Amino acid sequence: MSGLFKARNQVALVGFAHSKATRKPGRPLGVTALETARAAIADAGLTPHQIDGFVSSPLLPTTGDHAVEDGISTVTSNWLARHLGLDPAYVVGFQGIGQITGSLTLAVNAIASGAADYVLFHRALHLPPGKYNDNSLTEASGAMQWMAPMGFFGAMPAIALAYNEYCQRYGATREAMATLVCEARKNGSRIPWSAWYQKPLTVEQYMAEEMIIEPMCRLDADMPVEGVACFVLTSAERAKDLPHQPVYVSGYASGYPTKNRAMLHWTLDDMMHAGEGLSTRLWESSGFTASEIDLPQLYDGFSPFVYIWLETLGFCKRGEAHEMILSGGIDSDLPGTLPVMSGGGAIGNGRMHGVPQMLECYLQLSGRAGERQRGNVTTGLACHSTPHFGGAVVYSNDPS
Amino acid sequence: MTGLAARPVPVPDALSAPFWQAAARHVLTLAQCAKCHEVTLPPDLTCPHCHTIEPDFAFVPVDGTGRVRTWTVIRRSFLAGFENPFVLVDVELDGHPDMRLVARLLDGADAPLNIGTRVVVEFEDIAPGVAVPAFRLEQEA
Repeated sequence: MSGLFKARNQVALVGFAHSKATRKPGRPLGVTALETARAAIADAGLTPHQIDGFVSSPLLPTTGDHAVEDGISTVTSNWLARHLGLDPAYVVGFQGIGQITGSLTLAVNAIASGAADYVLFHRALHLPPGKYNDNSLTEASGAMQWMAPMGFFGAMPAIALAYNEYCQRYGATREAMATLVCEARKNGSRIPWSAWYQKPLTVEQYMAEEMIIEPMCRLDADMPVEGVACFVLTSAERAKDLPHQPVYVSGYASGYPTKNRAMLHWTLDDMMHAGEGLSTRLWESSGFTASEIDLPQLYDGFSPFVYIWLETLGFCKRGEAHEMILSGGIDSDLPGTLPVMSGGGAIGNGRMHGVPQMLECYLQLSGRAGERQRGNVTTGLACHSTPHFGGAVVYSNDPS
Repeated sequence: MTGLAARPVPVPDALSAPFWQAAARHVLTLAQCAKCHEVTLPPDLTCPHCHTIEPDFAFVPVDGTGRVRTWTVIRRSFLAGFENPFVLVDVELDGHPDMRLVARLLDGADAPLNIGTRVVVEFEDIAPGVAVPAFRLEQEA
């Protein structure tokens, strides 16, 4: 596709629900998903039988030795629809990385094409017992043979390599990253369902944390949690009859790796290069430019991703994201800044993948952010994962 | 290795077997496409350069010298079998722009590193008949 998205502002978010993001769920994930789904449908002013589309991306994002069981460690759309007692026309799951933005495009396209009238979009994240990412692998076959035998295993070392290249190239300091992580935790501490509710972090606490995968410490990765978020989408036309201010999808774009490398060898240059293509497509699709986005919400599953998104989407110059952050440029409490972590992100909420970014766009653009409501917000952007293994979506509350 | 679980060993397959056979002899090879003669690693079902579905890769030896693009010190490995801390280096091989290989640096966690630091491949024998590539600072090699 090139040019303006044909369904620009024709599909809207019309309701949501979010469970507590917690380390102690106390009941199966599927039960939480069912309760959250029913709450989201009611929030949208609908009944379950009106939902004729279900879309999700059910991946359990860990490298640890964990069994996958639908309803327990993942919740697919099929599972959810069946356990709600429904027989919907359209049920799909997104396969791949960049789960939130990737699956959202399936939901948007389904409504735009008429394949479904009302879609329940969900993400259910499970917290498996035991160590989240540890693996006792003794034989490495397939793609893993090119990593694990050499001691290269897991996402955090992959990101640490790219982040250290950034630090070495541009002189980024640990203080800049402390500022970013504390900004995420500050905003997350104000969100009742956050795993970090009322638990902000100080720069001193960050700096005292030992590095586990240099230059990254534990606080540079989002904390695994169990939680469910659901959104309801419908057409802009149908949204007129529903109780809340609709938030329209203006456009979206994805990016994928173009280089042949070992599975998790995510280089800084590859991410930035893919980001150039993604950004070009995103602005063409949405009809907006970076300077017209009031509320970018940048993905931070690993904190260095925020630098990459800030620069590749054009919110600052290349190599300057760390300086922008260190000088208060993303502080949500200061006027005239670009509050890219105002929704707390994954670092400030727990590992809800790209949900916090999407939800903050929805809450602020629909005027439903309560005490956190920001003035004069018309456009938002939510991204997930990286520019070379993920995507970004532009939202607006003005369909004109 | 005393007290540590076994390190994961590579399981060769139809595509990778020649690479691991050469590695066992402490020879680093790259997969060269029979059609366009460009090299890559890991070998894939197609050539990533000319996209032929019949790349018929030949594994050609390289001298294994290169420069460090980036590195990380692993102070807590998620994988069993490694003694912490250790260093992973991302090395761009000489003569092959953007051909990058991530492996351990065997000079200890305090090895002086910068972008561009020169290294050379060295193999770690991790099981009988099984060796995997690593790197060492060039001046010490």
